Amino acid sequence: MEPLTSYFAVSAILLGIGIYGLATRRSAIRILFAVELVYNAANLNIIAFSRLRDPPIVTGQVLVLFSIALAAMEAAVGLAIIILAFRINAEIDLRKLTRLKG
Amino acid sequence: MTDLAFLAFAFVTVIAAILAIEARDLVYGAVSLGVSFLGVAGLFILLDASYVAAFQISVYIGAVVVLILFTVMLVGPAKGDGPMEFKKASLFGAVLISLMLGMAGTLAATTSFPGREVCGSGCDLQLLSTTLLVDYGIQLELLALVLAAAVIGALTLAKAEKKE
Repeated sequence: MEPLTSYFAVSAILLGIGIYGLATRRSAIRILFAVELVYNAANLNIIAFSRLRDPPIVTGQVLVLFSIALAAMEAAVGLAIIILAFRINAEIDLRKLTRLKG
Repeated sequence: MTDLAFLAFAFVTVIAAILAIEARDLVYGAVSLGVSFLGVAGLFILLDASYVAAFQISVYIGAVVVLILFTVMLVGPAKGDGPMEFKKASLFGAVLISLMLGMAGTLAATTSFPGREVCGSGCDLQLLSTTLLVDYGIQLELLALVLAAAVIGALTLAKAEKKE
C-alpha cells in the first residue's frame, strides 16, 4: 500500500502545472483550465490529509464537497464573463484586454 | 494491486493535465481536462472517499467540462491561442515551477507521514451524511444561496448587452 506522500506528490505536480499555465498562457479559457487544475490539486491535498488522522475524519470530505460546488460556480461566472468580453471586444487574449489599465 | 491502480491514475492525471495546458486545439484541451478530472476521481476512490469521487465526476465532468466545451464552440476554437510569443517567459516559468516542485518534494520526502489507515470512519457514508446535513447544515444552505446568486449573476452577465 503506497504511503500518503505519493498523493501529496501528485497534488504538488498538479499545482505546479496549474501555476505554470496561469503564468504563461494568454487565452482566457486556457487560464480557466489552469485555475480548475489548481482547484483539483487543493481538493486532492485536503482528502489525503484527512486520512492522516487515526481514525480518519470525514470533515475533510465535507470541505471538499463545498469546494467542488464553489469551483463549479466560479467556472459558470468566469465563462459568462469570457462570453461577454468576447462579444464586446471580439478578443479573449488577456494580454490585449487592457482597457481598464487607464 | 492498489499500487498499480495508484500509478495508473496518477499517470493519467498528470499527463492529461499537461495536455490540457499544452494542446494546440482548445477542444482537445477541454477533453484532456475532463480526463484529468477523471483521474483525480480515481485517486479519491483509492483514498476511500467514494462519495466525493461521485460528486467530482457529476459536477466536473458532467457540468464544468460541458460548459467549457460549449463556450469554446461559441467563442470559436481559432480564438484560443495566438502564437506563443513569450518563449523566454515560458521557459523561465517552467524552471521556476520545477524549483518549487523540487522544494515541495524534498520537504515531503524528509517528513515522515504515517501510512494510510485501514478504511475506518473515513468511508462511513452515514457519518458523512450526518456531518454534512446536521453539523454543517447552515453552511450547506448558505452554499445553496451563493450558488443561486452565482447562477443568476452569470445569466445577467451573459444577457447584459441586450440593453445597448
